[in-house]
Amino acid sequence: MTAKHAENVDRGSLSPKLTPEHSGLRKSGDAPFDAAKKKHAGQSDRRQAQLMVLPAVVILVVVAFYPILATMWLSLHRMILVFHEETFVGLGNYGFLLSDPRFWSALSNTAYFAAVAVVIELILGLGFALILNAAFPGRSLLRAAILVPWAIPTVVSAKLWAWLFNPEYGLVTHLLPGHDVNWLGMPGYAMHAAILVDVWKTTPFVALLLLAGLQTIPQDIYKAASVDGAGTIRQFFSITLPLLRNTIVVTLIFRTLDASRVFDAVYVLTEGGPANTTETLSIYAYKTLMRVGDFGYGSTLSVVTFLCVMGISLVYLKVLGVERGKGA
Amino acid sequence: MHKAGCGVMRILTLVGLVCLAACHTGGGGAAGTNEPAKPPGKIRVVFKHQPMWGEPEPFRQLLAGFSQENPDIDLVTEVLPNASDAVHQYFLTSLEGRSRDYDVFIADVVWVPEFARAGWISDISDAFPPDGVKRDFLPGPAEAVTVEGKTYALPWYVDAGLLYYRTDLVPRAPKTFDELIQFAKDAKKKDPSLYGYVWQGRQYEGLVCDTYEAIWGFGGQTMNGNRVMVDTKESRGALTYLRSLFTEGISPPSVTSAGEEEARRTFQDGKAVFMRNWPYAWGEAQKPDSPIKGKVGITTLPTVTGEPGHGALGGWQLALNAYTPSWRREAAVKFMKYMTSKKAEVTLAVHYGRNPSRKDAYKDEGLRKEAPFIVDLLPVLENAKPRPVTPYYGMLSDVLQSEFSAVVSGIRPPEAALDRAQKFLDHVTQGGS
Amino acid sequence: MKKAALWFGLVAAITFCAGPFVWQMITSIRPESELTSLGMPSTMTFESYTGAFHGRPFGQVIVNSVIVAVITTLFCLAVGASAAFALAKLEFRGRKVLLFASLAVSMFPPIATVSPLYLIIRNVGLLDNLTSLIIPYTTFALPLTLWILTGFFEDIPDELYRAARVDGCSPFQAFWKVLLPLAAPGLATTAILVFIFSWNEFLYALTFISTPEKRTIPVAISLFAGEHKEPWGEIAAASVIATLPLIVVTMFFQRKIVAGLTAGAVKG
Repeated sequence: MTAKHAENVDRGSLSPKLTPEHSGLRKSGDAPFDAAKKKHAGQSDRRQAQLMVLPAVVILVVVAFYPILATMWLSLHRMILVFHEETFVGLGNYGFLLSDPRFWSALSNTAYFAAVAVVIELILGLGFALILNAAFPGRSLLRAAILVPWAIPTVVSAKLWAWLFNPEYGLVTHLLPGHDVNWLGMPGYAMHAAILVDVWKTTPFVALLLLAGLQTIPQDIYKAASVDGAGTIRQFFSITLPLLRNTIVVTLIFRTLDASRVFDAVYVLTEGGPANTTETLSIYAYKTLMRVGDFGYGSTLSVVTFLCVMGISLVYLKVLGVERGKGA
Repeated sequence: MHKAGCGVMRILTLVGLVCLAACHTGGGGAAGTNEPAKPPGKIRVVFKHQPMWGEPEPFRQLLAGFSQENPDIDLVTEVLPNASDAVHQYFLTSLEGRSRDYDVFIADVVWVPEFARAGWISDISDAFPPDGVKRDFLPGPAEAVTVEGKTYALPWYVDAGLLYYRTDLVPRAPKTFDELIQFAKDAKKKDPSLYGYVWQGRQYEGLVCDTYEAIWGFGGQTMNGNRVMVDTKESRGALTYLRSLFTEGISPPSVTSAGEEEARRTFQDGKAVFMRNWPYAWGEAQKPDSPIKGKVGITTLPTVTGEPGHGALGGWQLALNAYTPSWRREAAVKFMKYMTSKKAEVTLAVHYGRNPSRKDAYKDEGLRKEAPFIVDLLPVLENAKPRPVTPYYGMLSDVLQSEFSAVVSGIRPPEAALDRAQKFLDHVTQGGS
Repeated sequence: MKKAALWFGLVAAITFCAGPFVWQMITSIRPESELTSLGMPSTMTFESYTGAFHGRPFGQVIVNSVIVAVITTLFCLAVGASAAFALAKLEFRGRKVLLFASLAVSMFPPIATVSPLYLIIRNVGLLDNLTSLIIPYTTFALPLTLWILTGFFEDIPDELYRAARVDGCSPFQAFWKVLLPLAAPGLATTAILVFIFSWNEFLYALTFISTPEKRTIPVAISLFAGEHKEPWGEIAAASVIATLPLIVVTMFFQRKIVAGLTAGAVKG
């Protein structure tokens, strides 16, 4: 679900537009019209508005918000699904979680994965965006090519890379130096293979976002800088990066969020192995729920995952708020 | 102005209450105990099983035989996915949803206590009394299908872990762990390109089998009464031994991501001196185009003392869906009897390499002629040990897979891994037995 | 020098992005015996493609994915367009709350809602039923829908709406007759993005559906099993089948998609 983040980014802000022009009946120049209609139409209009919004609200509440609360409620129980065991244990699961070494390694795996993946995607994406931005033959070919990873289902791309990394027959295994490296079977290597898959899948999207930001920078600034004698590299660091800052920060937010809740690619690629070295929070929670059947502790893990992700978003929102307060 | 807003709130509250009700209707819900009425005509029995790889004709004829003997029963078969984990998840979702779509299905040997406790499979002691089961079937499988003194499934075919060795590379079959390591080293001295010992070291159920075989080789026990004992001196010894296979260069690093097929292919290509695998690999190794045809021997796994080691018990059982309506039950039981009869089991053995679960099948002359290898396997199969027999096996397995894999890859020392595993196991099984 | 660097970057980028998929396509047309060789295939054969359907309900799986994706898209558009219109043009209590709520939902990790949804779906008897997928998919595609469509509706001048009201339309009629047709481009973009999201979704499909005949494509491909070993050729063929339509659609609507994803930036 990364496209929607693009939309948020490209609106340049994260909060809904509440300016008068966009709230329907409130334009100042229409006072007589408003005054007359408002009394009668106001109430029925409001009702209609609420009816039109109701399906969306119901769906969001029932299928999204209510389950979050329900997960929290479940996490306070010891619940073995298949034995229909269900007892209230209060914060017992959370106590166990704090001393559960597998949780802590899942947390650090997730953090490592997110940090490395996002940084690489940012750098690569910027590179792609710069190429796409240059008036350059062949860039329409690149534009088409970079949408390929984005369009491919994540699961399919994981299988694709699993084949490339196959220890006996994979193309990548043969092309890279260091024979006998079993990328998906060796601790340490597997994590980086997983990161590579995520980078391949999402860099195009990052590139598109950054490209949109690049396209808002007027070319005149560069021309002026060239006239002043500034070289390409100098221009990049003094003009491009500063003007892209907002876009970069917002991209960072959404990519970090997505990377922290990663499941599909890693699960299909390694199932969290070898020896749980690629097990992320989502995978650990999933295994506990569906393989082990422990709905109580599994829900606890889900809640903690949720809190971590939301925590990251809050931190970023604060940072972004400061940025917007400061900059243009 | 505010009245319109309250309408929305009212609806939301109603929705919330409905959800609460839906969520907390414990098992009550959909199917309940009211059975569908019996339709006129033939009784339809549905049998779900894994694909029988090989010639489809003999199996079809076997099933046709049942239909001929029972003209009032309409037999339908449906195929399940191949991977054990996928089948387990299928049944978890399907039987939790109280499906009545099938009657007889296959269950892995480790699932029977779990399915019995969950109430998904029927107690069939009335048709197959436990004493009879013990008398007719091999001891390992008979133990695996008996839960709290009642029969919950019938053993259908059996598997056990074996040690394969190259008769041209080693003087004889090794009896102890030390001998295995020594023979491997000697063979490697003559040909350094060889791997010593290939087995299943990936993080999956196969690793649990291999590790338990090593634990039993060190004299360890799996259970202490009802408690699963994992952190024991013998387990530590076994894991240390397994890890040492890597550090001493006996097993190549690729074993840590190998399953049955990877190990078999390596051994069959002639690249390894020893292999641990299930009996099916023998048939593959004797195929005309196999590079090691005629050069392979099989034996029981090694132990510390030199006594024959126990292979891990594998194989599949036939179970009866607990939600099958009563009027289909008798027909389903007849089918189960038929498929576990001596004739059926011999057919499966001869054509599909499925080792019979019945004792008397091994005395069958036809089997002795067509598949002598299977008859020779009897001592190994009789000696096979089951992994911990507990309804919590699924949860156990997940933890054990993680920790064993960590030791085998060198991430964690055996003491730490077993300590973590035991703590988690105790936490999960507390309050339950 | 700069030109050379650009060319190198271009070629590297194109290889990196399209290369792996091209390799998968090559793998899918290799003969079985050459599956593990690393050069170009000597001949082209479609045996992997026929093999992908043999002994598996892959055709049914594709149909399932199509059904779920289409219904989700229609459902999402219906619910989302109506709500987006109200958000953009009408005034009512809780407007800001709804927008922030949908933003929050877009940040939920999917795993956080799996356990209670599983229980609810089980209790109402919808486990192993495609309907159990359509509802969560619609929910988690809704924020995206709302954000895109609200923007499109906001861009339609208010005068048009007010003119319709003056002509005697109720807000709903104004929406239905006047504004919705004008928002068609936005609907198209949203439809494509929601369709792709639904087509690709994995976690819920893995958890709520178990029968092979009822699965969707991502789960089916991840569980492709052969007799003992992974059938890489057939997986490659299935991957190409599952992805080629998406790629064709993406290329065809390329401009629309990129515009939809990055629209706001240009307008600021």
